[in-house]
Amino acid sequence: MSANPKDAAVKALEVSLAKGCKAARISLNITTQCSYSVRNDKLDRLQQSKGSSLFIQLFVDDRYGSFSTNRTDPEEVVNFIGKGIEATRFLTPDPCRTLPDKSLYYTGGGVDLKQYDRSIENIEPKQKLDIAFGCASEVLGKDKRVITVNSEYGDSDDYFYMIDSQGFEDESLESNFTLSAECSVKGRGDARPEAWWYESTLFFNNLKINGCGTKSLERALNRLNPKKLKSGKYNMVVENTASSRLISPIISALNGASIQQNNSFLKGKLGNQIFSPNFTLFDNAHLVGAAGARYFDGEGVATKPMKIVENGTINTYFINTYHSRKLGLPVTIEGPSVLNCFMEDTSSAGIDKNLEYILSKCGTGIFVTGFNGGNSNSSTGDFSLGIEGFFFENGRISHPIKEMNVTGNIITLWNNIIEIGTDPRNSSRWLIPTLAFESVDFNGI
Amino acid sequence: MIESHKLMAFFGVCEEDLRRLVEIALSNGGDYADLYFEYSISNELALRDGEVNAAGSHIDYGMGVRVLFGDQTGYAYTEITTIEEMEKAAKVASRIASSPSKYKLPNVNKLKFANFYPVICPWEENPISNKTPYLQELNAKIFDLDKRVNKVLARISDSTSQILFFNSEGLLACDDRPMASLTATCIMENNGKVENGSSSRSFRTGFEFLTHELVDEVANEVVHRTASLFDAIQPSGGELPVVMGAGSSGILLHEAIGHAFEADFNRLNTSIFADKFGKKICTEEISVIDDGTIPWNRGSVNFDDEGVVGQKTYMVKNGVLTSYLHDRISANYYKTKPTGNGRRESFRFMPLPRMRATYMENGKSRESDIISSVKRGIYVDNFSNGQVQIGAGDFTFYVKSGFLIENGKLTQPIKDINIIGNGPQALADIVAVADNSIIDNGTWSCGKEQYCPVSCGMPSVLVKKLTIGGVQN
Repeated sequence: MSANPKDAAVKALEVSLAKGCKAARISLNITTQCSYSVRNDKLDRLQQSKGSSLFIQLFVDDRYGSFSTNRTDPEEVVNFIGKGIEATRFLTPDPCRTLPDKSLYYTGGGVDLKQYDRSIENIEPKQKLDIAFGCASEVLGKDKRVITVNSEYGDSDDYFYMIDSQGFEDESLESNFTLSAECSVKGRGDARPEAWWYESTLFFNNLKINGCGTKSLERALNRLNPKKLKSGKYNMVVENTASSRLISPIISALNGASIQQNNSFLKGKLGNQIFSPNFTLFDNAHLVGAAGARYFDGEGVATKPMKIVENGTINTYFINTYHSRKLGLPVTIEGPSVLNCFMEDTSSAGIDKNLEYILSKCGTGIFVTGFNGGNSNSSTGDFSLGIEGFFFENGRISHPIKEMNVTGNIITLWNNIIEIGTDPRNSSRWLIPTLAFESVDFNGI
Repeated sequence: MIESHKLMAFFGVCEEDLRRLVEIALSNGGDYADLYFEYSISNELALRDGEVNAAGSHIDYGMGVRVLFGDQTGYAYTEITTIEEMEKAAKVASRIASSPSKYKLPNVNKLKFANFYPVICPWEENPISNKTPYLQELNAKIFDLDKRVNKVLARISDSTSQILFFNSEGLLACDDRPMASLTATCIMENNGKVENGSSSRSFRTGFEFLTHELVDEVANEVVHRTASLFDAIQPSGGELPVVMGAGSSGILLHEAIGHAFEADFNRLNTSIFADKFGKKICTEEISVIDDGTIPWNRGSVNFDDEGVVGQKTYMVKNGVLTSYLHDRISANYYKTKPTGNGRRESFRFMPLPRMRATYMENGKSRESDIISSVKRGIYVDNFSNGQVQIGAGDFTFYVKSGFLIENGKLTQPIKDINIIGNGPQALADIVAVADNSIIDNGTWSCGKEQYCPVSCGMPSVLVKKLTIGGVQN
């Protein structure tokens, strides 16, 4: 890698064009990370690394090849690109493979999205270690049922640079700080229920250092003595730590590749009201200080805040240049950046719809705190997921549950939404709050 | 197999450099250190919309330094194998320890091992033009097999990793690790209803992997799997007897017991099987093996990623838990020998106890007799993914397709259900084992902190009771 890391990408672009590419896009990623893991009262693992990769996309005679290497010695990059071009020429031409329309590029001028904390370079190893030890100490000696606790402090620094042969050039820098704790406790018989908690932020000073270990212990103890319920239809409340899992099938089904391959339960649904009119899904791509906020996607196309689903109606698919040409649809964006969802319900405007409020509103049902495996069918939207969580009655948590599944269809599920909270966790890129659905099939005894 | 001096030259190191790096790694008093050099090149070729129109190649190069101090680990890696950068990594890893160095390097020994995946025709000698006809043939066969086929996605992936390993015991080892897979996904449409299915095969092998027979096998399987879904339903859920068909039902072993037998979880006393060593945990008819020695198998290792030769490990022998799956750390803790299960995704990761090919040996029953013994239950034989909670023991796996069993006969096709159970209970609830054990050679990967290629297998078995996902009528 040269002194200015961008030089390797610029050189790769020059070489690609000089060797006969009609167009090319080069991306460079440099990541530095470290982590300190503590088990009980001693340092368990120490890890540190720095890595870089060049991603090279070549458009050769209407053909397309995608290549990557972490060997950035100039001579090796030249040879690698030469072989890549040679390989690409064996493919069948696909005229839909082009760079985007230049008018769609992000051209700069946006406010600082506050994705990078320069203090990352100045945090001393001892401070990091103290944080990890402090987290574990919140658990050790606090309950005789504790078997073990693992805590980990980690930080990373990601640099991204992209340049293409149409003149797009931009870069981004992101820092990330995480603290996690995982606690195992002695349960009934041979069972050793475990639970975790984590905090994650872009800025070190925002990292919640206190309470992470305690939270993991509370969650583990809450799992003791679970019971299996009878199969049946129940209200389902999904904690904000797990609710993204119910959005993922929708995002996958809106992807241009799924639409083009006729493998999406939302194909042909653009502009139609498919979900409950209470459900709106929003991509807040320019939310300052939110993890995942960005001005351009992987093609350089400018992002913008947009309602993906509005009052239950599908407003957009995620269409990149290739799928735009394949489907005859306009380019939108490759994928979402910062997802939010909310209820278009003026009667509850201003109400803090947190977990307590939602459990109380639902009365009785199953509170899901995590999903254990499972999957969904991309063609039909049918899903079946293992769950972790609790039975609740009269708005109060009653007891933990075990060995249960939830099964249904994503479209039906999202038509049965009865509440969307206002409490997303800021620790994740998808800011999905607590959700509540009615009449959901659970499988137990 | 590449010779060590050639691989050392490729990575730009000599024996003296390796010794020096280990000395630095142990300069703060660590007990053990190893160096893991890797050069991997992977290639992909894809067919979509009837054309072979996307290709990719990816190079990953670097080395990792690991230092053990008791059961503590220091780890650092670098992508630049200059002496200066490697020394920096060794110094970082050394910081896990804090006592005077007591290290004296023994003589260098070259590891002797059997080669479980000899390559006849290396991938690097075969350009895209040699692979393309197989994808085109696969596409044509899938379309020929059923008029309802609407789209086909097919992919050939191959990779070759060259590994140089050296440790503070003076052990020096080199390996060429090939991997190949052929995958097909088929979308079918019937009266406005759309279904999708996938099939794959994967082996540690060279270009000889690609044959017309392989193409036939994958084409037939993906079409059969997809077509069967049109008549399938999500059944009523609840507790039912489950007959797990031979082969890919090995996912039950992987999730329900395999992870819980990995010795890191047991060493930390967080596995539900932590107190079960040497005890009877299931019927005597059951023996479960984790095997790194099956020729060309996706999970095989000539030696693992901490220099321990590939071997076959009985985890359960005649119903008794006889061995955990060890890396060097856990083997030291249990005062036993490592079992060759210390594996890692790449030089970017430290090794952990991981499975290889996990399977159950044959029993005495016939599958047809097992099915006919079930009055009401389900039969499952096609899965996509699974997961387990090690401490609670709850495991799940997702069933893509199967059948209802009614009065001892396979009847209504079923699909898209999750099955959940508890590991020790499910193992104890296996009441019949068939005589048809086979290894499933699909593209299985295990995602415990990092990805590793694995495989699994099983004879058909009857589990008395598991919780089936489904919809209430």
